[in-house]
Formats: sequence, C-alpha cells, structure tokens
Amino acid sequence: MFRKMLLLGLVLTLAAALVMPALAQDDMETYMLGVALPFTGSFGTFGQDFERGIDLAVAQMNAELAAAGSAIRFETVSADTEQTPEGASRAVQTIVQTTGAQVIVGPLTTAEVLGAKQFVDENGIVIVAMASSGPAASIPGDNIFRVIYPPDTFSSKAFATIALERGHANMVLLHVDDAFGNGMKEQFITNYQAQGGGEVATFAYAPQSTELSTEAAAVSAALAGFGDSAGFFCVCFPGAAEAFVQVAQIDPILTSVQWLGNEAMTSDEMLEDPGHAMTLANADFVTVSQSADTTPLTPIFEHDFVAMFDKDPGIFTNYAFDAANIAMLTMLAAGNDGAAVKSMLPFIANHYIGTAVQAFLDENGDQAIASYGIRQVLEDGSGFEVIGTYDGNNDTITYK
Amino acid sequence: MPPALLTTSLVNTLQIGSLYALMALGITLTFSVMKLPNFAHAEFVSAGAYAALIISLAGVLNPLLIMAAAFVIGALAALLSHLLVFKPLEQRQVSFYTLILASFAIGLILRYLLFLLADSFNLFDLRIAIPLRILFRQDSLILSNLFAWAVPTSLLLVFLLTLLLNRSPLGREMRALANNPSLARVIGIPVERVKNATWLIVGGLAGVAGALWGMQTAVNPLMGWAAIISVFAAAILGGLSSFSGTILGAYVVAFSENTIMLFLNYSFSLDLAYKPAIPFIIIIAVLLIRPQGFSALLRRGGDLKR
Repeated sequence: MFRKMLLLGLVLTLAAALVMPALAQDDMETYMLGVALPFTGSFGTFGQDFERGIDLAVAQMNAELAAAGSAIRFETVSADTEQTPEGASRAVQTIVQTTGAQVIVGPLTTAEVLGAKQFVDENGIVIVAMASSGPAASIPGDNIFRVIYPPDTFSSKAFATIALERGHANMVLLHVDDAFGNGMKEQFITNYQAQGGGEVATFAYAPQSTELSTEAAAVSAALAGFGDSAGFFCVCFPGAAEAFVQVAQIDPILTSVQWLGNEAMTSDEMLEDPGHAMTLANADFVTVSQSADTTPLTPIFEHDFVAMFDKDPGIFTNYAFDAANIAMLTMLAAGNDGAAVKSMLPFIANHYIGTAVQAFLDENGDQAIASYGIRQVLEDGSGFEVIGTYDGNNDTITYK
Repeated sequence: MPPALLTTSLVNTLQIGSLYALMALGITLTFSVMKLPNFAHAEFVSAGAYAALIISLAGVLNPLLIMAAAFVIGALAALLSHLLVFKPLEQRQVSFYTLILASFAIGLILRYLLFLLADSFNLFDLRIAIPLRILFRQDSLILSNLFAWAVPTSLLLVFLLTLLLNRSPLGREMRALANNPSLARVIGIPVERVKNATWLIVGGLAGVAGALWGMQTAVNPLMGWAAIISVFAAAILGGLSSFSGTILGAYVVAFSENTIMLFLNYSFSLDLAYKPAIPFIIIIAVLLIRPQGFSALLRRGGDLKR
C-alpha cells in the first residue's frame, strides 16, 4: 500500500513538474514593442545603435518584472524604415500587421514619423519617437509622442539669436529638402527676421543627394552677393554634411565666413578628416543641440550598455533607451491597448526622469523642456567645447 | 549668372562628367557585349570606393595604388557576378527581363554586404583620406588635386579602352560579340573568355570611378546607387552602343546637373532639390525624341557596333 502511495505520489509530482511550467507559460502575457528605425542608409548606424539601447531597456525591464513575479514580459520586433517616409510607413504596417503591436518606438526623423502618421492615427497605434524634432509633426491629439528631443521651434530661435549676435546682417541657409529641413528653414527665417535680421537666401538639397558641389557653388555665390556681413547656416543630414564640407573646403568664400549648423556637422567622422576639421575651425563653427547634461541614470546606462554589448553607446542612444522605457511603463500601467496607451502616456512621461533629461510633454505630445548646449569647434579642430547654454523655455542664452 | 558661378559650375561639370563617363562606359560595354542593362553596376562602384577607403585608412595615400586596389575589387565583384549568376542564367537561356531582375538582385546583395562591412567597422560616410588642396587658382577658377586626378585619369582610361577596342585582338573579339554573338561563336571566338575579360574591364572601371567618387564625396554603401540614374542617363544619351557618345552623354548630364541647374536656380529660383530629376528628364527625352542618342552622330568614334 505504502509503495502504491509512493508511486502515485511520484507520478503526481512528475506530472505536476511537467504540467505546471506549461500552465505558468500560459499565464505569461507578452507585450510586443515595435521598433521602426533606419537600419540602412546614412542613418543606419544610428538605427542599429538605437535598437541596442531599446534592447537594453527591454532586457532590464523583463529582469525586473521576473524578479517581481509579474507575468508580463516585453518582446521587440524590428523593421527597417530605410530612412524614408514610405519605408517608415511600410515598416510600421509590417510590425503591426504581423505581430499586433500597439506601440512603436521610433522612427528616427520627422519625415519618417510623418510617413507613418496616417496609418497609426487610423489604426490607434501609438508612436513614441526619440529624436524627431521637425515642427511639422507638432500636431495636437494625434497618436505621435516625441518624448525626449524638443521641437526645432526652440533651437531655431537660438540659431537666429546667435547669428545676429555674430553680426550677420544676412544669412545663407542650406537645408535638406524634407520635413526637418523645411521646418527648420521656416522657423529660422521667422525668428531671424523677427529679431531684426535681413535677407535669408535658402538652398535645398534632395535628401538622397551624396554629392553637393552644385549646392556649394550656389551657397558661395549667394554669400558673395551679400558681402562681408553674411553668415552661413547648414541644416544637413550626416553624409551630406561631410560631402558639403568636402567641396566647401577649397571655396574661398565659404572658408571666409562664419558657419552655424545642426548636430550632424559635429560627428566624430567630421573631425577625423583634418581638412574638414580645419574648415569648421576656420569658420568658427557653432552648433546648438539638446543639452548633454547628465542625470544620475546616465552613467548607469552607459555602464550597462557596455556590459551588454561590449561597446560604448553612440550619440543619442540613451534617447532610444528612455523612449522605450516610457513606452513600456505606459503599457504596464494602461495595458497592451493603443487607445489606453495614448491616454496614459503623457502622465507617465511627465513623471519620467531618464538618462538625458526630465520628460514633460506639451499639448502636441512633444517634449516641452528645451534645454540646449551651445558648442563651438576648438581652434585646432580637435573637438568641440561647450561655450554656453540656451534655455528654450525662457528664450535665454547664457555664455560661459 | 555671375561669371564666378559659371566658372565653378564648368569646373564641376568637367570633374563630375569625367567620373560619370568612367561609370557609364561600363554600362555601355555590358549592354553592347552582354546585352544586359546591368543595375548591379552601381554596387561595383561602391565596392571600388570601399576598397579605396579601406586601403587609404590603412595608410596607403598614393592615389595610383588606391585606384589600383579599387580596380581589382571592382573587377572581382563584376567577374564573380558573371560567373556565379549571369553565366548560369544565360546557360539556362532565361529571358532578357530575368537577367535585369538578376542584376537588381546582385546589386541588392552586394549593397547589403557593404552595409554589413560598414556596420562592423564603422565605415559610414567616411572620405578617402587624400587631402584636398588647391593646385591652381586664377580669380574664380580653382582647380584642386582631385580635379587633377579625376579628369586625366578618366580621359586616359577612356583612351586606353578605345585603343583596346580598336587595336587589340580582344577588342576585335568584343566587337564581334557585340555585333552578332551567334556568328562570333561560329567563327571560333572564345566567347566565355571575352565575356570574362569584358566583366573584368567593366568592374575595374567602375571600381576606379568609385575611388575617385569617394574622394569627391563621402563613402557609404548607397553612393553608387545614388549616382546610377545619372550614369544610365549618360549611357542612354550615348545610345548604349557608342563609347564616344557615352562620354559626350556623361558631360551633357554633368553640365545639366551643374551649369544648367545653377542657371535655372539663379535666374528662375528653381530649387536645387530638383537636381535628381534632371537625369530622369534626359532619359525620357532621349527615349522619346532620339532613342539612338548620340551614337548615330558619332558613328566613327569608338563604337562597339559597326
């Protein structure tokens, strides 16, 4: 009898051991987090690095959820936006239609975000973008949240103020012909002329252009037409920025005026080329980009990133990490439902302090805290130094 | 249009037109001899540019050595494409359209291999490390060392190619193959050897063009693809069968993209962002108005089909 009981007990234990994990597995709930980023094209390195930042955030969140006994786990599914609006739309649709994901982290640029906008608005999907800043995507009530990087309405004011402080009576502006470049152009002209600036000659280049000698010739001629008091402002993407400086460095006009430019001009690759570095140094190049100030979480993020990927995080990778955390925290609070996430996300974001900056969203779902650093290239072209800060909320520049 | 702007645009026309010519000659050669409008040609250019970039980052700063490396890698990429894909497909007697699709596929595969390479070693948007400097300056006329390399190199290679085509046994065999492949086979021309040689030349020229293009702009896996429409426009202007027509076509495309574009921008405020539309306009106009391009006008100079 005892043997039978023992045998029965063993069988039941064995059965329980086999069945319980399966039951536990059934109890687990998986939330899909879509990742739509440019993995190819000039921004391919950004996209791949941003994805690592998101993977780190998801791994950390899942570990915490497991430790807390939660049945929820996050999984990511990625698609390449190909750095185009059409590609972004395709990527988001593919993710949603194949996995049912309700929340997408990304895309990267404003043009890509706008490319996916119609689909996400019509289908109740939420986009949490980390670096899009074009004013064209500042739309109240839509399903797009730009949680980290503030809109260019702020930085364009800083650029306009700096141009006037430098004594530029007129400006020549070269910009990429997309939502980001066109938005920055319009905002800059408005702010520059509102503060007493003169004429702004603008030249657009096609986003796919890789050779900009025609554009450099046109910019040079316009600068020559304005005379000594003119300055140059470049709103370019990586790749085009290097291509422009490459042809500009032997132009006598372009190398004799002061330059302003967006952060694409400040890549490590730019300064690795001695000719490019000296061109920027001779032009007293200045850029305005979101503050590189750190929070207590920044070094922890950097340490964990290196531990997981055996490499340093790239520029702005922590923005992707923060955007993923805001998305996941909102899903934990609101559930895996696009409409609920849309409703809850501003509350979560406004209580989130990440690795870069406090998030606080305006009525458009955009980052409202506008804290920028003003950086100038060193005289020998070896790097950049912070020469001041711009408080976008109070429209105040403070130089060191 | 100010004289300084005109001068600069003409210098750019010469420089960029020379590079387009190097790239477009390969397309003309492929189309004439292999009957294939090869869209993977763009990636031969990019492969050559990456070979040049890597060897320059390794410390080799002699432009001749850099271009030689680019020639070898471009030639190998083209030959392997032929041996691994085009030749087996031709043996299966697939249609013309299948070969075009295959060329797109090869291009995509090569492009994403370059992406893998670039991502693994952080080789995006870098420039071939030859310092740019001014060699000659007179008022607004500025000639750089890149101009001094690009224009003579392109002209020399074009000259050598014309010599090869007109004065060598291989050139005669290539012309025979271009005129009538069946007859060429019947009279004992070693067709496969000629095709292999043609692919090596095509890829090599594209590789050298990639190296020079990478000195002009930033190297990334899409650079060849970004230029390919302009290059096809040049080849189509040349009638896809004439060397001299292709060279003239290359300079016409470069002139349109630079001087005419700047004139339209300066005089009529036409946005420079329309520049990529110019080669499309040229292609459509040529196909509608004069499908044979310049080839009939320049029948005597370096034609593959006579």
